[in-house]
Amino acid sequence: MRAGFLAGVLLLASGYAWIAFAELAWLSSAGRLGPGFFPRIIGATLIVMCAWSLGAELRHGARERLSEFWRVTLVLALLSGLFVAALDVLGGLASMIAYMAVTLAFLNRRRHWQNALLAVLLPLGIYLLFRVWLNAAVPRGLLPF
Amino acid sequence: MDLFANLLLGFSVAVSPINLAYLFAGVMIGMVVGIIPGFGPAAALAVLLPVTFGMEPAGAVIMLAAIYYGSQYGGTITSILLNTPGESSSVASTFDGYPLAQQGRAGPALVMQAIASFVGGTFGVVLITLLAPPFSQLARSFGPPEFFLLVVMGLSTLIVMIGGNWRLGLISALVGLALGTVGVDLETGNSRFTFGSAEMIGGIDFIPIAIGLFGLGELYYAFYSGLHVSGTGGIVQLQKEKRFWPELRDYVETRWALARGSLLGFVVGVLPGAGATVASLMSYSLEKSVSRTPQKFGKGAMAGLVGPEAANNAASSGAMVPLLTLGIPGSAATAVLLAAFVLWGLTPGPLLMAQKPEFAWGLIASMYLGNMALLALNVFAIPLFVQMIKLPYRILAPAVILVCTIGTYSVNGSIVETWLMFGAGLAGFFMKLHGFSPAALVLALVLGPLAEQSLRQTLAISRGSLGIFLERAPSLWILGITAAALVVGMAMRRARDPG
Repeated sequence: MRAGFLAGVLLLASGYAWIAFAELAWLSSAGRLGPGFFPRIIGATLIVMCAWSLGAELRHGARERLSEFWRVTLVLALLSGLFVAALDVLGGLASMIAYMAVTLAFLNRRRHWQNALLAVLLPLGIYLLFRVWLNAAVPRGLLPF
Repeated sequence: MDLFANLLLGFSVAVSPINLAYLFAGVMIGMVVGIIPGFGPAAALAVLLPVTFGMEPAGAVIMLAAIYYGSQYGGTITSILLNTPGESSSVASTFDGYPLAQQGRAGPALVMQAIASFVGGTFGVVLITLLAPPFSQLARSFGPPEFFLLVVMGLSTLIVMIGGNWRLGLISALVGLALGTVGVDLETGNSRFTFGSAEMIGGIDFIPIAIGLFGLGELYYAFYSGLHVSGTGGIVQLQKEKRFWPELRDYVETRWALARGSLLGFVVGVLPGAGATVASLMSYSLEKSVSRTPQKFGKGAMAGLVGPEAANNAASSGAMVPLLTLGIPGSAATAVLLAAFVLWGLTPGPLLMAQKPEFAWGLIASMYLGNMALLALNVFAIPLFVQMIKLPYRILAPAVILVCTIGTYSVNGSIVETWLMFGAGLAGFFMKLHGFSPAALVLALVLGPLAEQSLRQTLAISRGSLGIFLERAPSLWILGITAAALVVGMAMRRARDPG
């Protein structure tokens, strides 16, 4: 798994280095160090380090086993992603209530009253804190709150 | 005399009713943050940054700093009662803290850790008071070569001293540096890696990255590790304690551990990149090596708890020295503090103490008061925090994700940054899972622009010669300290992993 992650970073590093070498100049038109100077050094070093680590991982890396809790983690991450996606559609308050209701129903099973109370009160508290007290931005979405 | 006048000025700022209220709120939040495993001070500071928008700059930074050093106190409570460190800097406190609690000495252990934290923290603040002005004076002679070397020192120390594979630490730092190059190149005006997006022209804001890596990423990892099911079943019941207060021999036996831990912690804390975790582990090793009864360590030696506790609190105070006098953060949490300073129009660095004395000294004075408040809280409000430990993770985690998401959005009202935070959360989870260093990434992201600018200026001054780094006395000093820190770091790694 680590080898796969390293390969992904290597791929991104190669793209970064390619842009640094192909599109950004080492020297500016005034003869000073240009916009590509630092990114080229970073990109090249990153590729070398990723390739080195990937090689070492493929040679000596032990096979890692998935934790028994990977499904819970995956669902939690998916729910967080859906929450961010819902912000623009439902708006801040409704998304928070929906997210808390679904997540607590999944994690805190068979405690319906507790979940319902938390799913309403906590988002309401956070909404009031950010929107009313701090006058900070909270996503509006298609709903007016 | 200047010192006392400045300190008096600082106290006049810190004791205003509103700043005292912010200070108390900060230490309370810090304690709670310290108690929650998987939610560190860096994430808490990043999430709470928008909450400070309506405050005065001094009050805001006093509160954020209190969260930072308050979390060092809180992290130990779970180390002692649950054998689960709330913070990475409290790991060493589990070695002897939990065995003490199992032996029915949870009360004395908690009181002694509070006293050690107070002594270490206050000792650190006294040294900041004495050393920050000369440091600040010295830093005024620094030019681009020295600032570049300080960045190198911070990153290399962090990579070497944090456990695990150094190559993965270096890759993490390089990714952070790469992210730091996104946006307009200030010297030439060229856009870099923006892909035509107007949102990227200003660069990647590190607040969403920090919240994602340290908030979401850590929480996902906590679930992956099964923290939500392990719960608080193994908690040592403090209510059954009859002997709550330490005995005289506890104070006598640990007095030198207290002194050594405080001094060592401060020195390590001042080094950019080393930090509280390294300080506490070094202190534990030191105490074990100088003890006449090393066989007691790991089985409930009070010195094994007191030394690391004094060290991690002194280190968190020490980390304020490079932040205030050089504008160089030494850890992810102090990097967020730096962002808070900049947000309020303050530029940490050599001129801060001269140009904004009320702010700099107000912050330092507030740290004296904050440590006193934390001592009182830790001794008299422990039952309250024990109840908080019992809050189930399955309820706490979604609430934290809620605050992380809305907090990120509220900084700039940007849904792109909210997605960026979510992406950073996923990346943070995989980084943690595979042994990479999210702290190195965040620190490099913050310090990257300074590193690039100072390196380009240095090479312009020297006409492309790297020999300039060996020509100036301050540069040579920084190189020497970096080399010494790296040698110590490598020796520590070798001691941890003899193979």
